[in-house]
Amino acid sequence: MSKYYDIDDILVEEEYVPVLFHKRANGVTIDPSAETNCAEQGSKVEVPFWLAHELQLRQAVSINLPACFDQKTRLEVQADAAYVDLRSRCPYFYEFGCKLEPLVTDRTLGILLSTAFKIRYKEALTKVYTAAHITASKYLSFLTKEETNLYEAAHLSSTAFKKWKTCGRRLERASILGRKRKDSN
Amino acid sequence: MYGRKGYQLLKDFASGEKGQLKPFNSKLFDETIEECDQNHHLLQSLIRKMQQEDLDVPNNRNADHYGALIHHLSLMRNKRCLMAYVYNRAEIVRDLAWRVGLELLDLPSEIQEKLTSLEKEYFKNHSVALKSYMGKVGIELNVDMVPPKDPYIKVRILDDIDEGIVLSDKTTNFARHSMHFLKRTDAEPYIARGQMEELTD
Repeated sequence: MSKYYDIDDILVEEEYVPVLFHKRANGVTIDPSAETNCAEQGSKVEVPFWLAHELQLRQAVSINLPACFDQKTRLEVQADAAYVDLRSRCPYFYEFGCKLEPLVTDRTLGILLSTAFKIRYKEALTKVYTAAHITASKYLSFLTKEETNLYEAAHLSSTAFKKWKTCGRRLERASILGRKRKDSN
Repeated sequence: MYGRKGYQLLKDFASGEKGQLKPFNSKLFDETIEECDQNHHLLQSLIRKMQQEDLDVPNNRNADHYGALIHHLSLMRNKRCLMAYVYNRAEIVRDLAWRVGLELLDLPSEIQEKLTSLEKEYFKNHSVALKSYMGKVGIELNVDMVPPKDPYIKVRILDDIDEGIVLSDKTTNFARHSMHFLKRTDAEPYIARGQMEELTD
């Protein structure tokens, strides 16, 4: 309830999941492969998570695990979790997995998420302190949204610390105004 | 269909820098409302169909019911997207009042362009509420956003400021690139707007 207005929560719920319809639904064009204007019983369709969740509560569909959590990803995470490109699989990998976990029958999803996160979090924090921001850009493109937020928070705190050590400027232009555009004259 | 327009609206919002506004996307906003109307229309026709077949609408779970349910859920989803859009923009507008200044005209013009007239109204009302509260409490709450160290600081002027600004202890002319030794409370609003910068040595 407290996340009603949260933009990230809304964007996470937009991710697609494959569902299996148990009941027929008339007058909707959700199923692109259906010839008629409805979703047939027993048809497999990809729908956004928010819709799948509500329909499963009313026992109209059952949710299957989406492709981003498949066997290929699991094997890659087992091999070297820190450098797997999770962003291309799903930019909200962890949040999405957490929402799916109580709804699907797969019991190993939680373990996958927590092991991947532990290894990658440690790697991200090490990168903040050892690599310059520019050289780490390729690594940053592998991180999911949640991990990127953590990385940026760590980066901000380390620059603030360095600034404090050297007695830098304390009063600054309000960050809400955006970056300064250099005047030509 | 089915919540796409609401999602696009929020993606547009999220694609800006975090904590900063983009111009109000009234085109996508109106398209989302149109999509809601379409969902509502289809929902009503499915319910009417069930009533014509003399079925007990709330309890009968046939194919039309599930179709109507999907339309209803899409409508609620679009509503949530629209409300989140306006809510998050309002949060940034409130933030502007605290960090930059309580007068609408003090905001840089590029920020003013991005606000709709309703958001400008909201900004004005919020400023009025803040001012009356600060007047009653007797403390200025929007100074000293950073714990102060010295009462006076050295500043360099970056932008052209109107001449003859009256500060609390003197009247000065601010020429560009000139340096001054000002009271911190006077200089703070100008620094927040980017018209001056603090010199630390």
